Amino acid sequence: MGDVAISVQGRCALTHIFTLALACFSAGAAAQVQLAANLAELSLEELANLQVTSVSRRAERLADAAAALYVITGEDIRRSGVTSLPEALRLAPNLEVARIDSRQYAISARGFNNSIGNKLLVLIDGRTVYTPLFSGVFWDAQDTLLDDIDRIEVISGPGATLWGANAVNGVINVITRRASETRGTLAEAGAGNRERGISARHGVDLQGGGALRIYGKFFDRDNTVRANGSAVRDEWQNGQTGFRGDWGSAASGFTLQGDAYRGSIQQPVGNDVTLSGGNLLGRMTRSLAGEDRVQAQVYFDNTQRDIPGSFAERLNTFDAEAQHAFQAARDHFVTWGGGHRRAYDRVNNSAGLAFLPDRTTLHWTNVFAQDEVTLGERWRLTLGTKFESNVYTGTEALPSARIAWKPDPQQLVWAAASRAVRAPSRLDRDLFVPAQPPFLLAGGPDFRSEVAKVLELGYRAQPSTRFSYSVTGFYSQYDHLRTLERVGTTFVLGNKMEGRSKGIEAWGTFQAASHWRLSAGALLLDQDLRLKSDSTDTSGVAAAGNDPKHQFTLRSSLDLAGNQHFDVMARYVGALPNPAVPAYSAVDARYAWQLQRGLELSVTAQNLFDHAHPEFGAPATRSEIERGFFVRVKWSH
Amino acid sequence: MVALTLRLGFAAALLWAQAGFAQTENRPAEVQIKAAFLYKFGDFVQWPPAAFARADAPFVIGVLAADDLAVALEQLVANRSVQGHPVAVRRVRRGEPLAGLHVLFIGQAESARLAETLAAARGQAVLTVTESENALAAGSMINFVAEDQRVRFDVALPSAERGQLKISSRLLAVARRVITS
Repeated sequence: MGDVAISVQGRCALTHIFTLALACFSAGAAAQVQLAANLAELSLEELANLQVTSVSRRAERLADAAAALYVITGEDIRRSGVTSLPEALRLAPNLEVARIDSRQYAISARGFNNSIGNKLLVLIDGRTVYTPLFSGVFWDAQDTLLDDIDRIEVISGPGATLWGANAVNGVINVITRRASETRGTLAEAGAGNRERGISARHGVDLQGGGALRIYGKFFDRDNTVRANGSAVRDEWQNGQTGFRGDWGSAASGFTLQGDAYRGSIQQPVGNDVTLSGGNLLGRMTRSLAGEDRVQAQVYFDNTQRDIPGSFAERLNTFDAEAQHAFQAARDHFVTWGGGHRRAYDRVNNSAGLAFLPDRTTLHWTNVFAQDEVTLGERWRLTLGTKFESNVYTGTEALPSARIAWKPDPQQLVWAAASRAVRAPSRLDRDLFVPAQPPFLLAGGPDFRSEVAKVLELGYRAQPSTRFSYSVTGFYSQYDHLRTLERVGTTFVLGNKMEGRSKGIEAWGTFQAASHWRLSAGALLLDQDLRLKSDSTDTSGVAAAGNDPKHQFTLRSSLDLAGNQHFDVMARYVGALPNPAVPAYSAVDARYAWQLQRGLELSVTAQNLFDHAHPEFGAPATRSEIERGFFVRVKWSH
Repeated sequence: MVALTLRLGFAAALLWAQAGFAQTENRPAEVQIKAAFLYKFGDFVQWPPAAFARADAPFVIGVLAADDLAVALEQLVANRSVQGHPVAVRRVRRGEPLAGLHVLFIGQAESARLAETLAAARGQAVLTVTESENALAAGSMINFVAEDQRVRFDVALPSAERGQLKISSRLLAVARRVITS
């Protein structure tokens, strides 16, 4: 898989790409002057997190990345006051994030949003967290200590050439800080009308070099409610612990990290849902001559979920991958590598539904190569492809071509053409309802990969040291999208939907004053999906996803005198068509006051001007997301 | 008109060519980040009132044995102010009096004679900033360290207190390490 590739991108400091577009675009003496001026606008925290190499060639190359990339910084997350990873993703203007209930989210980019959305690839520190059960993410099992997140890179659009199948509409890459950056003790406790939580982390230097941190957290989230005020039984308790050790430097070193979690969630009828799991990852990086480097990574992941009355699953995943990047010729920088992943999945089926066979082994093998060609001083062409095999459809080709033109140091124009696929999951092939024939619903034995062909055109600019923005337009053609084909009395999963979507993603940041930053984002989406003429699907295109046509966000980050911070974020999400969810606006705000060194008190309000609103689902069964207040004390030493 | 366009195009190409050269050097980036820190520190340190002769007196950052940093700093502070004072950069030579300085940066090239210069600054309301190993032990208040390709810094509070400087908790929160005794 392309996890290594992501890490490489990460290492190379995509960080702050927008606040620091200039650092990345920096060029020449004049630009150096402007870079210097721009650095003066950064906060101490940002300066301290700035990678020195970010102005060197490697990072400059990534700033040229011909992709719709938004970086949520760790500082953004801390200042937003959010308490979960999905809520933090609301900070990315190029994502759709809809909360379904206390633990479930529908998260997507460029449409097809769904509680079982399947076109987004999500990684946490290089570990792929989407489940082969449905090619989506169980968001309730993905967590980390939010204070330790360095950044979240969000790419909307296909990233399959580097990241592999499933990176159809986007890639989310959560990157935590190195252990050497989280020395000391941190303890937090918070309580509000919707949830309570405590967390702690301790980081130390190790004898003989290296650093290690351990963390633990626990939270308790209250149930949500229906529109009529009745309670939904979805209370949730979860605990997680983990560690990360780093030896050497980011460029040449070794990382070992792991997590373990356990949680339980009420469900409307029957016993509580239980979750548990753990993972262990090792990664080695070596710098060779010049910009050349190699990286190898292995991980093991175990995740278990028991949904009484539906099914229980135990999934063990082993993954190994390696990558080599080198200057092949004067104008050619080549990255190539490969990987293998093996997943052992065991499902305990219920009478109501079954994954058959109940035990199965899935495996994926990939090789990829990418060449970055420098064409003169202003043009850069990136050609690459990945070949990835899966047990269902054999080998898939995932090529892309990207070109970037930099007319001057403050501007970048890029265009890309890509092919990406969403390979079948167990849900597409192995699901049967009920568990015994006659089936109402059956996996499609011939279910094939969903295919996207995507054209993108983007423009990024920093017209002044205070203002930067990005605009991306995209046109995607989809084929073989999932449908429910009626065969006799059974619905069989098939691939008879096609269509296209087009849209615009735009965002910008304006540093109004040294202590005041404004950010804004906008999404426009136009989808046109249709069933093919020979389809017997009766549910129509609604099953493919439920997306707003517009979404707007506005954020203000203000530093006040006396070590106080005041942050406000407003968002408008357009109406969802089917099932209909009304458009809504929500305002979140956080006020934080540093009482003394290492002691911070903060108050966060969510949905400040709104008693409650639904974000996803049909009226009879959906939850309302209520106004929330949260008070938190954070102590660090 | 055509000539003007051509000339602009040529200038841009020239800048671009220089860019390629500048970017192969890692050093400037580190220097620029350190320069930005030196300027930023000013907002998070409180000097005794006597440190400024008049309300509009300049905020003076002295740079010793680090010409490239001085250049970066001059670019960075142009038309900027610290706590309402216009910022001035002064290149300092070893042995020169330090009166009038608010910040003194001592480059690595001077590390062999660091103790000598720091001793001269001792007790004065000058924020001493260094980039050398064991500089805090030698009496420096803030010392830059490279870590994970980032520029971080350690702070020695007792040295700052001797200079009657108050360092804000926000600055300390960003420090990699704070020595309190």
